[in-house]
Amino acid sequence: MKAVGARLPRYDGIEHVTGRTTYVDDVRVPGTLWAKALRSPLHSAMITSFDASKAEAMPGVHAVITHADVPLLEYGHLSALGIPADEPLLAKDEVRYKGQPIAVVAAEDEETAMAAVEAIDIELDERTPLFDIRRAFDSDAPKVHQWGNWYTHFEGEMDRRQIRKGSVEDAFDKADTIVQGVYRPAAIEHVPLETQVALVVPEASGRLTIYSCTQALYFSMGVVAAHLQVPLNKLKVVGGTVGGGFGGKVDTASETMCALLAQKSGRPVKWRWTREEEFLCSSTRAPWHMEIADAVTKDGWILGRKMLTLHDSGAYGRFSPYGLTKHSFHHTGAYTIPNLEFDGYVVFTNRVPTTAMRGFGVTSVSFATETHMSRIADLLGLDPYEVRLKNANRIGDTSPNRIVYTDPSTVSVVKALAGGMDVELQPDYAAMTRDPREGDLLPEHLVGQMANPEDH
Amino acid sequence: MTQATEVLFPTSADEAVAQFGDGSGVTVVGGGTIVMPEITYGRLAPTKALVLSRAGLDTLDVSGATVTLGAGLPVARLAELAQDVKALAQCALNVADYEIRLQATVGGNLCAGEGQDAPRGDLQGPLLALDAQARSVGADGASTEPLEEFLGRRAGRLLLDVTFEKPAASAFAAIDYAHTHEYTVLAVSGVRTASGETRLAATGLAGFGTRLRSAEAAASDPERAGAAAVADVSLGDDALASAWYRERTLPVLVRRVLGELEESA
Amino acid sequence: MNLTVNGRTHDVESGPLATLLDVLREELGVTSPKAGCEQGGCGACTVIVDGEPQRACLTPVGALDGASVTTVEGLGAPESLSPLQQAFTHHYAAQCGFCTSGMMIAADAYLKRGGTDDREAIQEALAGHVCRCTGYVKIIDAVAAVARGDSFDLTVTAASAGMTNLGGDV
Repeated sequence: MKAVGARLPRYDGIEHVTGRTTYVDDVRVPGTLWAKALRSPLHSAMITSFDASKAEAMPGVHAVITHADVPLLEYGHLSALGIPADEPLLAKDEVRYKGQPIAVVAAEDEETAMAAVEAIDIELDERTPLFDIRRAFDSDAPKVHQWGNWYTHFEGEMDRRQIRKGSVEDAFDKADTIVQGVYRPAAIEHVPLETQVALVVPEASGRLTIYSCTQALYFSMGVVAAHLQVPLNKLKVVGGTVGGGFGGKVDTASETMCALLAQKSGRPVKWRWTREEEFLCSSTRAPWHMEIADAVTKDGWILGRKMLTLHDSGAYGRFSPYGLTKHSFHHTGAYTIPNLEFDGYVVFTNRVPTTAMRGFGVTSVSFATETHMSRIADLLGLDPYEVRLKNANRIGDTSPNRIVYTDPSTVSVVKALAGGMDVELQPDYAAMTRDPREGDLLPEHLVGQMANPEDH
Repeated sequence: MTQATEVLFPTSADEAVAQFGDGSGVTVVGGGTIVMPEITYGRLAPTKALVLSRAGLDTLDVSGATVTLGAGLPVARLAELAQDVKALAQCALNVADYEIRLQATVGGNLCAGEGQDAPRGDLQGPLLALDAQARSVGADGASTEPLEEFLGRRAGRLLLDVTFEKPAASAFAAIDYAHTHEYTVLAVSGVRTASGETRLAATGLAGFGTRLRSAEAAASDPERAGAAAVADVSLGDDALASAWYRERTLPVLVRRVLGELEESA
Repeated sequence: MNLTVNGRTHDVESGPLATLLDVLREELGVTSPKAGCEQGGCGACTVIVDGEPQRACLTPVGALDGASVTTVEGLGAPESLSPLQQAFTHHYAAQCGFCTSGMMIAADAYLKRGGTDDREAIQEALAGHVCRCTGYVKIIDAVAAVARGDSFDLTVTAASAGMTNLGGDV
């Protein structure tokens, strides 16, 4: 291996420092029209009337698209993973989040496009929105989604991700104490320096050339093809340098809308979001609500865990069931807990739909688990490193969904952390390794969860 | 929109005054830091824009104890008053960042309308404490009045300059919202005049900057003054902080400023 | 009106209230200044105007008749990189690169007014520039390196680099 550990120049390093890197907004195609969107000003409403005729007739306006212009209006980005389609590309009869796109205009310049959006007549009948995921389960909660207020299409039409292992009742019976915690990380906006942008050029051959800021070029190609109901070979997607994405540019829809406008107008169309649009209506990392109750012994063994997770998906599903699934596999964090009762729900609210962001689904549960470990140590008067090292994943332990650990790194990481913090561990803890559990490190309650319990 | 706009670039104060006229239909552009985004985002479509970049209003004049700041003076240049008017220089250097301070003007900072999401007009604080006089023109002609009165009727007036006397001492204390360039959540400015009078003013309130007269009356007792200051202001929630938070931190800033003024006695 | 950009003088056709950013990007095809927020808050549009760094998105071009503007393209070219450009490359101060133009303009101005390798002073000078990728440390490293007068070897490639031992047990 010659590359690992070597100082390699970035392939785009010289371009960056000389201002020559080409981002989508730097591509110049003669005749390009500017796009602007009409977005819902309300969190939840029925659309009772809509008239774009004044906008369409405005000089300099070349096309206006609405839901009626989309050959396949609803396409599930992760339908290959079993998540059904639920979200219209452009709103039809109702709006479910503030900023939801209703129509998009393509005009000669930005000002004309903005004026055309203003000229669209629309009437909205406001409804009571739902923002608190905890309230979503109340019988009198506003109904957000056609499936109800939480996702019901996990395998076997389950309405939650459920993990059961061992016997949580036994664990709670045997515990010296129960340690509880509630963890509620807030939404985070990605704030890439480059706002969402797409440029679509209609070619004489009938193909579309798409310049997109997507982080997932082939994925987006599939999305455009599905909405437009065209074969993939009709599309040429030119990816390039993304000005920051962090997960927020995997569910882009701007290229699909520009493609429709380019087809309708016969001209290249560019849509560059403003920073205000990014903040108000681009997808965010989800807010979460996690409740953990651990059955623990006074010397710091975690016998069992009960956990409830609510994940705020916003107005539509997008990738949330996938994020929650990953979350559920990791709900014991870097530690081995043999008796588990986990239930996780993807909950719908009238927020902007949430999406991936670095560590999608797992950063939330890492935050909760680690904070909870410290809480356990604090309440029991134990050393936080020792509590972690004791319960750390080892070779032969199994994860919540019964994956056997063959190469877990908890022990070496916790020891390196102690070293970095100038904390001297007690000798028996300093000597710990990830070798399979035995002796004092294999109390009765951990035997059953081993990969080969009969060997112990 | 911008094609239909008449854009004027007066090259002297007199020309600016003449072109401003009675102010009706005129959008004044100082450095552009506040007005240009409004135009870009389509929220402002001026019919007549008066751009002051060449009007010669960027003066900083010190004559003995009297200081006059032209409305077009870049905020950054207030650093030149660090020796004589510490609070004003500190306040100015606390605004935004290096580039914005070079482009933003004293006039723009004083005359900007109240911010919707965050307070504006940081310089109102020290200039109110200095009891600055504002010289302006508008529909009812030219006038010079206390800044406090000017702020109440600044819409429709063209500010030309502000004048104040150098204080014996001044102090400035602020709470910033931590960020790459910090936003000022709440700030208190204090001045002790040559004749021994203490003046206090705050920004970061609901509405524009305000004198803290109840606090001034109790200035010899910083604890009492801090508590009294709350009665002088109207507080609001915004994107930076809540009224609740500001109510609890205002007395702290008042005490700090009075303490600093005491120390420089 | 006339505007000199990176040494070339142009006759500007856009109206006087057009932003300098739009004039540079759309009319003159100079695309290194970026539209990161169009409100002056992110710094990505910053260019040098008559020797000082300025937000192009906040500047009505009519205020700049006869002015001289420098963008990153004017700081150096691939075949002749300025020390600052070399430093940014060597120190990996750019990841996605979108903030880089603005950062370099601010850094260039800082160094030209005698800025030192004091990290707090560099941070203060760059306070108007947001980066979401790097965490800022390497940007400050790069600017400090230029202030100190470091030289940079940009010829390192995978072939010439030996393997290194990462150390520690895994």
